[in-house]
Amino acid sequence: MTEILLTISASELCLTKTITEEMILAAVESGVAEPIEGEDLVNWVFDSTSVHWLKKAIRLHQDLEIDWVAVAMVIDLLQQKESLQRENQYIRQQLKRFL
Amino acid sequence: MQFKDYYQILGVEPDAESKDIKMAYRRLARKYHPDVNPEAGAEDKFKEVAEAYEVLKDAERRAEYDELRQYGGKPGAGFEPPPGWRYTNGTNSFSDQEFSDFFNSVFGRAGAEHRGAQSEGNFGFKGRDLELEMPIFLEDTLAEESKQVTYHIPVFEDGQVRQIKKSLNVKIPKGVTDGERIRIKGQGAPGQGDGTNGDLYLHIRLVPHPLFDIQGHNLLITLPLSPWEAALGAKVTVPTLTGKINLTITPNAQSGQKLRIKGKGLPTKTGMGDLYAIVKIVMPPTTNDATEQLWKKLASSASFDPRTAWSN
Repeated sequence: MTEILLTISASELCLTKTITEEMILAAVESGVAEPIEGEDLVNWVFDSTSVHWLKKAIRLHQDLEIDWVAVAMVIDLLQQKESLQRENQYIRQQLKRFL
Repeated sequence: MQFKDYYQILGVEPDAESKDIKMAYRRLARKYHPDVNPEAGAEDKFKEVAEAYEVLKDAERRAEYDELRQYGGKPGAGFEPPPGWRYTNGTNSFSDQEFSDFFNSVFGRAGAEHRGAQSEGNFGFKGRDLELEMPIFLEDTLAEESKQVTYHIPVFEDGQVRQIKKSLNVKIPKGVTDGERIRIKGQGAPGQGDGTNGDLYLHIRLVPHPLFDIQGHNLLITLPLSPWEAALGAKVTVPTLTGKINLTITPNAQSGQKLRIKGKGLPTKTGMGDLYAIVKIVMPPTTNDATEQLWKKLASSASFDPRTAWSN
């Protein structure tokens, strides 16, 4: 049976080759990711969508050699873009039915 | 194997200073980074640029590369490392990049092996996570049965990538919305050493429906009404995701008016969203003498100006 989860813990995240505790701390401090549970790193739990953004943030931080404040800004803008694109698609579709 | 001219890739002169190399890399990386540039080909271009920088940013590695370049490496020409060539200097940085055959033949599979060296002990590394787009019909969000997902897992063997086909039955959790990502533990690429398997992430995309639009957990349907139905009110049958429902339209319905049908939307984590029928008043495409007379009668007796907002 497949185990379907909507969350991932910080310790599970750290098993990933490219993710370290320091990066998770930096990402949370800069607002790239927000734990949905837990008071500290050991107990932090993230929703499964935030993993996608966290990995993206780490890649941007390393590959573009930009600091976490800038990374957080980029991620925020990318998220806004994704949600606006989705909203735009809905609204266009709705408009088409109405005209 | 082809010789790669890393200077050409970064667009710098072979005697460029390290700060110029860094600048060129940053400029190109910003342009082609696959996380910010979704265009096809950007990722390959970025990999090339990252590989060039990996070599040229490191003084020792750059020196070795320059030596090879002197030895006769020409861009695009066939290349074999000189007999007895063995890269000995330095270690590769903390990177998850995959490099070209050219890089690996010159500098060894150090990129992978350097990190691998740490895994020779009692622990390994978790396999790579995979992310898949998962198109879902609106009806599927209500279904009890699982959906089959078929995907390919890339496996590295003897420097080659092999794709292993895999199928899974997945029950989409209740209340999942468009754009959300769900995690399926251990179904990604196999781990290295003692490492666990990576995870599979499904990026949920709700497929556009011929009748319903999505707004969060609510659904919208356009409800066409004739002018007289709008004026006098009507009883209409409205399709829902699961069947049909009878709806009473009160007199004087307006275009754009929203009628809420409770509990006929998409499932949320705790209950159900609603369906909204949005009134659209539609004129009959043709008319005859009798109806024209009736419209004329209406026009002469009604004193309604729909453009009051334009006056003043």
